[in-house]
Amino acid sequence: VNDTLQRDSLANILGLIVTLGVALLVMIIMIVILSKEPGTTIYHFFAGPLTNTYYFGNMLNAAIPLILTGLGIAVAFRASMFNLGGEGQVYTGGLMTTFIALSLPQISPILGIPLALAGAVGVSAAIAGLSGFFKMTWNTDELISSFLVSNALILIVDYFITGPLKDPDTNLLTTSKIGTQYRFLKIFPPSSLDISLLFVIGLACLLYFYLFFTHQGYELRITGLNREFARYGGINVKQYTLIPMLISGGLHGLAGAVSILGTHYRCFKGFSGGMGWNGIAVALIAKNHPLGVIPAAIFFAYIEAGAKSAMIHSDITIEIASIVQSIVFFLITAQAIYNFFHYRMRRGYA
Amino acid sequence: MHNTIFTFPIIHNAIGIMTPFLLAGIGGLMTELAGMLNIALEGLILIGAFFSVVFAAATGSLFLGVLLGIGVSMLIAYIFGAITIYMQANVFITGLATNLLAGGLTTVLSFYLFGTKGVIRFQSLPDLAEFHVPVLGGIPLIGDIFFGHNVFTYLSWLIVFLAYILIYRMPFGFHLRGTGMNPEALRSLGLKPTRFQLAGILMSGFTCGLAGAVLTLNLGAYVPNISAGRGWIALVVIYLGNKTPIGVLIASFVFGLAESFSNYAQGVTNVPADFILAFPYVVTVAAMVVFSIIQHKRNLLRG
Repeated sequence: VNDTLQRDSLANILGLIVTLGVALLVMIIMIVILSKEPGTTIYHFFAGPLTNTYYFGNMLNAAIPLILTGLGIAVAFRASMFNLGGEGQVYTGGLMTTFIALSLPQISPILGIPLALAGAVGVSAAIAGLSGFFKMTWNTDELISSFLVSNALILIVDYFITGPLKDPDTNLLTTSKIGTQYRFLKIFPPSSLDISLLFVIGLACLLYFYLFFTHQGYELRITGLNREFARYGGINVKQYTLIPMLISGGLHGLAGAVSILGTHYRCFKGFSGGMGWNGIAVALIAKNHPLGVIPAAIFFAYIEAGAKSAMIHSDITIEIASIVQSIVFFLITAQAIYNFFHYRMRRGYA
Repeated sequence: MHNTIFTFPIIHNAIGIMTPFLLAGIGGLMTELAGMLNIALEGLILIGAFFSVVFAAATGSLFLGVLLGIGVSMLIAYIFGAITIYMQANVFITGLATNLLAGGLTTVLSFYLFGTKGVIRFQSLPDLAEFHVPVLGGIPLIGDIFFGHNVFTYLSWLIVFLAYILIYRMPFGFHLRGTGMNPEALRSLGLKPTRFQLAGILMSGFTCGLAGAVLTLNLGAYVPNISAGRGWIALVVIYLGNKTPIGVLIASFVFGLAESFSNYAQGVTNVPADFILAFPYVVTVAAMVVFSIIQHKRNLLRG
C-alpha cells in the first residue's frame, strides 16, 4: 500500500511538472512570436525576479496575498465549494481596512491594526458567507452567485474609491494614505517585503492543523469528498456549506487588508485585480493542501514578477502572464496527464 | 442610434440589448442539456467580439468578419471541450481557463496589432442595417418589439426556433438530452456521450461568437472586456428559463428590460454610474435566489 501511495504522489508531481512545463513553453513561444527582441525578453522574464534583491523581495511580497487567497480557495474546495467571488472579496476587504484606518487616524497601532484587519475579514466573510447561506438554505449555486455578487461589489467599491473616499489632493483614482502607525514593518529593504509574510506562513500552518487535526476539519473534508456518505455518518453536512465559505471569504478579506497595510498604504482603483483568480490557480497547483499553497503562491508571484520585469525592460505587455495562467488552469485538473504517469509506473517504465 | 418613432423606447431597446444574452443562452443551453455547466460563455463572447470586428475591418466585409469571428470562437470552444472531455479535466476549471485565455489573448493581440490596450475604433466599417417598416413600425408594442432591429436580432430569433426543433424534434436533440440525463443509457445504444458533449460545447462556441459580434459590430469598435459579465448572466438566464429555448427567450427579455431600464435611469437620475452598472448583477443574483427558493419549495411539496 505504501508503495502505491508513493507512486501516486510521484505521478502527481510528474503531472504537475508537465503542466507547468507546458505553460512555460507556451510562454516562450509567445514571446518569440510577439517580441522584437525575444532573447532579452526571455532573459528578463526568467532571470529578472531572481537576479536583483529588490525584485526578489517584491516577488515574495506579492506572494503574501496570493497565499491568503490560495488558502481561502483551498478550504472551500476541500468542502467541494466554489468561491468564484475572490476578486470582489479582496477588493472590498481592502476598502474596509482603508476606511477604518482613515476614520481612526489617531488611534494606537495596537488597537488600530487588529481593528482594520478584523473589519476586512468580517465584511468579506459576510459576502462569501451570503453565497454559502443561499446554498445551504435554498441550494442556490454558490459558484455563480459568488461571482455575480463579487462583480457588483467591484463596481460599488470603485464608486467609493473615486467618490466619497477619493483623495482630494491628487488626480489619481485613489483614497488618501493611511496613518504611518498602521503600516507593517519592512523586513527586506529596499524591497516592499513586510513582516506579514511570517504571519501568513503561520496562518497556513494553522489551517493545515484545522483541516487535518481537528474534528471539524475532518468533517469538512469528509463532506467535501462525499456528501451522502457524510450525511449517513451523522455529520451535519449543511453547516459545511456555510463554514468553508465564511473562512474563504475571511481569508480573501485579509488578503486585501494585508495588501493595503503592508504594501500600498492606500486603496486605489483596481489594486486587487487578478488576486482572486490567481488564488484559484494557486490552490489547484497545491492540490488544496494548505502548506503546498506557499510554494505555489511563490511560483505564481514569480510568473507575475517575470512578466512585469519583461514589460519594463522589453516590449511585451504584462497580460501575457494571464495566458500562462490559463494554460495552467487548462491542464492542472486533466486526469489524462496523471493517468499517463500512473500507467507508465505500473508498467515499470518510470 | 435609436430614434424616437417607437412608442416604448425602453421595450424597443430591451429587444436589442437581449440579443447577446439570448444567443449565449441558447448555446449554453446546449451544453447544459448535455450535462455540463459551461462557464466559458463569457470568454467565448469576448473572443467572438474581438476577432469578428478585427476580421471585419481587415477584410472590409461584415459577413466575413462575423464568419471568421465565429470560427475563432469555435476553435477556442473546441480546445476547451477537447481538454475537458478527452483529457478528463474539471469543466469549471477549464471554463475559467477559457475566460482567462480570452482576456489575456485579446489584450496581448490588441497591444501587438494596434499598440493599445484601450478602445480600438474602426472607421471604415459599414453600419449594420436596421429593418424598418414604415407603418407597422409605429404600432405600439408590436412595432417596438418586431421592427427596427439589426440582422443579428432576427438571426437570434431564428436560432431559438432552430434550437427548439433540434432539441425536441430531432434524434440529435434526444441524444443530447440523454447525455445529460443518463450517459449510460446512451452508451447502451452504442452512442458516445462524449460526442454530444463536444457538439454542445461547439454550438456554444458558435452562438457566443455571434453574440460577441453583435457587441462590437454594433459599436464599430472594440472595447476591452466588452463582454462585461454577459456570459455569466446568460448562465443564469438558462436556469431561469427552466432549461428550454422558449424559457431562455423570455428570461433574456427580462434581463434586456432590466438593462434597458438602467440605461434609461442613467439618463434621467443622478445615481452614480457605478451603481447603475452594478444593477444588472444585483438583479441577476436576486432572480437566481428567488428562482432557487421557488424550486426548493416545489421540491418540498413533492416530498
